[in-house]
Amino acid sequence: MSWYVMGVDLGSTTAKVAIVDDQGAMVGSKIVQMGAVSQEAVRVAMEAALMDARIHQSDIVRTISTGYGRKLVPTDKTFTEITCHARGAAALFPGVRLVIDIGGQDSKAIAVDQDGLVDRFAMNDRCASGTGRFFDVLSRALEVPVTDVGALALEGSDGLEVSSMCATFAETEVISLLAQGAEKDDIAASVHKAVAARTVGLVAQVGKASPVVMTGGVAKNKALVHFLSEALRLPIEMLDEPQIAGAYGAAIIAREEYLGNMASGVADVTTERELGAALSAVAVPHCAECATGHLDGHTHGRAISVTIGKRPMADLPGPVA
Amino acid sequence: MSLEAPSREPLELLTTHDRTLDAPDKSNRLSSTKTGGKMVADYWENIFTAKERGKHVVWYNGTALNPIFQAAGLEWCHGEAFSARLAAMHLEGPAQAAGEEYGYIGELCSYARTHLGCAVMTQKGITEKQNGIVGMVDQEELASKLPSPDFFVNAYAGCSTGQQWDAMTYRVFGKEFPIFNVSLPMIWGNKKDAGYLRGSEWEKTPLYVEEQLKKLIEFIEYQTKKTFDWDALSENMYYIKRASELRLEAMALCAAAPTPATYWDWVASIAPINFMPANQALVDYFQGVKDEIQYRLDNKISAVQNEKYRVYFDGIMNWNKLGWLTRKFAEYDVAVVAGRYTHDSFWQEPQLIDLDRPLLGMAQHYLICPINHGLKIMEELLIKRCDEYGIDGIAFHSTRTCRAMTNPQHILARTAETERGIKSFFFEGDVADAAFYKDESLESGLVAMLESIDQQRARALV
Repeated sequence: MSWYVMGVDLGSTTAKVAIVDDQGAMVGSKIVQMGAVSQEAVRVAMEAALMDARIHQSDIVRTISTGYGRKLVPTDKTFTEITCHARGAAALFPGVRLVIDIGGQDSKAIAVDQDGLVDRFAMNDRCASGTGRFFDVLSRALEVPVTDVGALALEGSDGLEVSSMCATFAETEVISLLAQGAEKDDIAASVHKAVAARTVGLVAQVGKASPVVMTGGVAKNKALVHFLSEALRLPIEMLDEPQIAGAYGAAIIAREEYLGNMASGVADVTTERELGAALSAVAVPHCAECATGHLDGHTHGRAISVTIGKRPMADLPGPVA
Repeated sequence: MSLEAPSREPLELLTTHDRTLDAPDKSNRLSSTKTGGKMVADYWENIFTAKERGKHVVWYNGTALNPIFQAAGLEWCHGEAFSARLAAMHLEGPAQAAGEEYGYIGELCSYARTHLGCAVMTQKGITEKQNGIVGMVDQEELASKLPSPDFFVNAYAGCSTGQQWDAMTYRVFGKEFPIFNVSLPMIWGNKKDAGYLRGSEWEKTPLYVEEQLKKLIEFIEYQTKKTFDWDALSENMYYIKRASELRLEAMALCAAAPTPATYWDWVASIAPINFMPANQALVDYFQGVKDEIQYRLDNKISAVQNEKYRVYFDGIMNWNKLGWLTRKFAEYDVAVVAGRYTHDSFWQEPQLIDLDRPLLGMAQHYLICPINHGLKIMEELLIKRCDEYGIDGIAFHSTRTCRAMTNPQHILARTAETERGIKSFFFEGDVADAAFYKDESLESGLVAMLESIDQQRARALV
């Protein structure tokens, strides 16, 4: 009998739902925009995704949520956007090594390893610069719908100096530029370039790598993709629906957890938090030396070395026989 | 996939603050550190009455010069320590407002901003017109209780703000009191033979500092009109050395897993080792801490209920958030077992202390301040600690107004990842200004790091 899992990504402005079947294929999805974190939007998105997949809620065996409002969603478990966007992007674009997720509230650069798992990540700080919110501010200042600012930017030249440090100050700068007679398209282009520069700063923290995939709603802004690609000096691969990556990643994890791959001896998939939790009894570095009372400064069975050198994965914290 | 606008029903977003308070407290702090809290409170109460007792008062920052001051019969006020105390008691606001209104910007080191505010507030009787403060803050606040200095001593390693801080305070007081500056060069670690506590640079630089400390003592003798008591200095350093040995022995016990005490307990023990009087009470304090840790080991009592992750904390403490962060990390089964601020500071190499030549060992310690090393040595120390304590991940406190501490952090994160496969995350905050901290940012980063560690463990086991 077929079974299904669901991933829910409740962002600051949008609810996304993806449904995956027991074979790992995405069979239904839905994206619902809203003005603020909304449980109603989640409900609408869930129902629509179920209709899209032609199944009922009772067919869903496990649900995982992610996103800014993930704790508000009645699911089995939550994961951060970082993990879910990496997993979703890696599934949608196999081989990806760098995921740039720019959502309404925050932005992230995620280095992904060869298995599609998170290697390093960096998030924006408390400033909204470089997030979807930044483009809301721009559209308000330019009196242009937010959906049009990208197209406007592609028509302009990017030679104006705009601060990339603060969304609030950037709005002030935009108004100042308008007062000086600058053209709206040039301002839009320059702001996009500034956001790209800000994003490159995040990427620098995790290391530039390719292929690069952009996820999140801002990935639909072609101007930003253009300027970011220029700033990175790398092509940016586009997904058919970049906003669904987080929900899809959550669904993938839900499926893996349900499979219980370790318990069943299936080794072709790796799971994350649930597996870690299930294995915690052995994964906690409780070691034989601890048990024998030799506690002074020992290293849980690992060799002490102050010489910097590569340590193989097998030496990472694990069970002690 | 189509887009549609549903009827809006905004929800009240549960903050991480609310959730953490709702969650059971899984941390188990040492009870012996409470003794230190009383010692520190008594110490400051004593400082407040220094002038009434006819004592000379010295204001200083940075390195632990207090054994010298103690031997000279002075009362000493460590600016950072007082700022940290105000922040820990959530009383930093008036001093910071006074500092900012006097003219120091919000991006200035919040330790310095707070302490400079104290300096402003300490000058009782000064009018709003004279000091430029709009709406003079209540002089009865704790920040204003500090006695005015008779002189300043500056000996700050690795931080340009620290090196200018006392000079700024000196100007706040109208340049009326003398100031003595000790120059502490950076230990660059660039030479081929360089490393932690080794190499020609390490051999020479402490001698230069030792000579300055001799000059400092001459300065103090001149100021106090009293001959310096060298025997008292040796005696003070005896107590410091013994307390330090006990502290390190107790820290070493925490390599055990699950750990019997955490980084937060060592943060709570900073004040005693950093600026409290050197005496038997100090030794007793650390003996008590060590005994409690040994008791916990013997009785299998852990500092974090259900320890799953062992984390290293890089950055100066966010003093407003000590209790909060203790609970927050424990909520996620994280034992923060070591950190640069606690483990690579504060008389951390007691074998260097020679009671027959105390100034040299002191000079050496002043130079191994954790922000005074070149990158090569910092990397060496980080990897050493990660190996010693079985570290799974690193929390980098991106201390907003402390560039000296944060400058190398991204490189250190990469070193830990590439050399040991250790994951990390960054969160913003500050030493004494809560405005730079956001719970949601900390929680997102922490949980994402733990998820990465889970992935890593799972893959290692598959």
